Amino acid sequence: MHQLPKLLAVRASRSLLQHRFQKLHYSSSTHSFSSNSASHSSSSLSKFLNEISTNLSHVEINQNKYDLDVHGKGEGYHPTSPPAAILTPTSVTDISSILKYCNQYKIPVIPYGAGTSVEGHVSAIHPSSISLDMVKFKQVDLPTDGTILEDAHIQVGAGVTRHELNHALRHTGLEFKVDPGADATIGGMTATSASGTTAVSYGTMRENILGLECVLPDGTVANCGSFALKSSSGYDLTSLMCGSEGTLGVITKVTVKLHPVAEHVSAAICEFDTLHEAAMAISTMKFSSIPLERCELLDESSLDAFHKYTIMSDGNETNDSNTEEVVRKPTVFLEFTGATKDIVQEHVKLTELICNEFGGSNFEFKTDEAERRKLWSARHNLYYASLAMRKGAEKAIITDACVPLSKLAHVISATAQDVKDYGVIATTFGHAGDGNFHCILPILEDDDKEYIQKLHEINDNLIKRTLEVGGTCTGEHGIGNGKIKHLMQEHGEGGVKFMEMIKKGLDANNIMNPGKIVDI
Amino acid sequence: MKILVGVKRVVDYAVKVRVGANGVELKNVKMSMNPFCEIATEAAVRLKENKAANVSEVVAVSVGPKQCQDTLRTALAMGCDRAIHVKTDLRGDYMELQSDSVAKIFQKIVEEKEQNTDLVLLGKQSIDSDCGQVGPMLAGFLNYPQATFAANIDLDGDGLKVERETDSGTETIKIPSLPAVITCDLRLNEPRYATLPNIMKAKKKKIDTIDANDLGVDLTAKNKVLEVYEPPPRKEGIVVEDVDELIAKLKNEAGLLQ
Repeated sequence: MHQLPKLLAVRASRSLLQHRFQKLHYSSSTHSFSSNSASHSSSSLSKFLNEISTNLSHVEINQNKYDLDVHGKGEGYHPTSPPAAILTPTSVTDISSILKYCNQYKIPVIPYGAGTSVEGHVSAIHPSSISLDMVKFKQVDLPTDGTILEDAHIQVGAGVTRHELNHALRHTGLEFKVDPGADATIGGMTATSASGTTAVSYGTMRENILGLECVLPDGTVANCGSFALKSSSGYDLTSLMCGSEGTLGVITKVTVKLHPVAEHVSAAICEFDTLHEAAMAISTMKFSSIPLERCELLDESSLDAFHKYTIMSDGNETNDSNTEEVVRKPTVFLEFTGATKDIVQEHVKLTELICNEFGGSNFEFKTDEAERRKLWSARHNLYYASLAMRKGAEKAIITDACVPLSKLAHVISATAQDVKDYGVIATTFGHAGDGNFHCILPILEDDDKEYIQKLHEINDNLIKRTLEVGGTCTGEHGIGNGKIKHLMQEHGEGGVKFMEMIKKGLDANNIMNPGKIVDI
Repeated sequence: MKILVGVKRVVDYAVKVRVGANGVELKNVKMSMNPFCEIATEAAVRLKENKAANVSEVVAVSVGPKQCQDTLRTALAMGCDRAIHVKTDLRGDYMELQSDSVAKIFQKIVEEKEQNTDLVLLGKQSIDSDCGQVGPMLAGFLNYPQATFAANIDLDGDGLKVERETDSGTETIKIPSLPAVITCDLRLNEPRYATLPNIMKAKKKKIDTIDANDLGVDLTAKNKVLEVYEPPPRKEGIVVEDVDELIAKLKNEAGLLQ
């Protein structure tokens, strides 16, 4: 449960309820921007901003230093790199005009959703960049009277966050299943091809969008995809934009696929002596055709962090320093859904047998919603639990690699061993059903260069191992700027050239989020 | 135990309301069930699921235009057994229909149509009129005990124990025996998401329609709305250079320091 604001007996409730879910968007708008502002001025930027305030006067221009800082960073460890100004368009035509001016005056532009990316996606490489705030694109195309949706899809503005979307859908019986930890915007999730714990059953963003509307760098508005569930019609433009990280255009509207809210759910956990045995148990579950709604693997360090920082169900955080010294074991977290209670029970029983075959112990399952939520909210808050392992840490390097399932146990173990050998503090856990895992390496403000260097080496070693077994250096977080150096090894010369050709063809002036994915 | 739940159809809480010539613009605006009514419905359904409460049925009631049927279908999908739609085209956001009339409508339903109602659950307030009056007024008209702003409801012998949230803390109130009226506050529960099978089932559940004019209740507004306007836009803040300037401004401009 979120922190609830103190309620007055009978107070205008609308604003309180909005606060519960929406980030209040304060912006000190100023149309009389100062061309002498701080360190981000150039004559072409001034001319560009002049055009906007003259011809698109309803588009807010914000050069407040604090807001610029917010727009210059995501939730990763990369340093803040603020843009020179934030523009808030209100329509697709606004964006089209803005991009034309950007091309004319060579002003780099970075689309901004919720700022939850972790690979430095929104960092402004060039000082005269502008941030394009998508906050006004919050339309959710539901029939105004909440009648049942006929098809399991819905069109939403790129600025709608996934919690906002599911809240709007709450009485339709359908929900949007992709669940990265953050409450990211649908546009941002599309731009990074995000995914979360439900990928093992529903796939990533790529498998959950039917189409999108975007504005290309030259101002062209393009509609990609359709409402059909499959299509062989033309190039797969939707897939091209998916994962393009703002380098090929601005995504303005997305048609997302929805799935029924599960009626019968069961969650289970099981401990294993080694990561290898846990991974083998998971493979066997899949080979036995057991449909897994979620399948997460936490190593000893994650469990340690998670138990030390237990979040109580009513929202209070306690630092539980009274835990006895228990030996933590790698643990698998599973979730099952099905059309009837019996079907789910059968799957749970079968899974327990499989876990026992591989030396699993303390198999537990729960069906009650509150208890299941408690299990999973802890998993979703693992990031904060990990940060809490180093008191005062506010950010971390989060590694993101994805390997073929047969190599998962080996790569996780080797990484966990690296963490021990280098003597740093980190937690390791993964979306075991997909072969994707994350290592959270918390950073303190006053960490010395050596410590930071160790963290980067652990990440580099991990990526090297990953690419050696034919994996990818990023399963869900994206390339941003930091992982460009791995693209050659992963995709080869041909692959990288292919990407460069696409970028050059669409964005010859390199105004769309330059310095990300490809450097042209 | 027989439970009656009031559910109101209001402008969706996430909508940015606009004020037109005749009050808040309702045309083409997304409407949904009042959030506090969702909480009341969830409370009723949880009581029904609690064997110890021995609930025979939960009846949802809504007052408003024909689209209230959608609101009632939502209540049915959440677990209510049947519903009553009191039909009227009068605006329920205080512009035309006001709390005392609604309370009297509910009184008529309880006394004449749904006798043997043991518990009436309502939201503590609606998010369009923000009156919070129907619950207490109804309890007064029916001469039932009431507990408002319920943050927790427990069975207690023949009656109920209710925790009431106020700004200065929580009160525990004992209702020695039913019938009673309870209004529900935010912390009481988190309403469930309806699943498709339940939505399908809800289509088959019964909704009875009664014309509001046939109840013999005076529906005229006792209070006159003089003006509806948007709050003035929030004034921009300023950035000060240093603490001295801050203190000077607090002293001289804001008048907050001596």
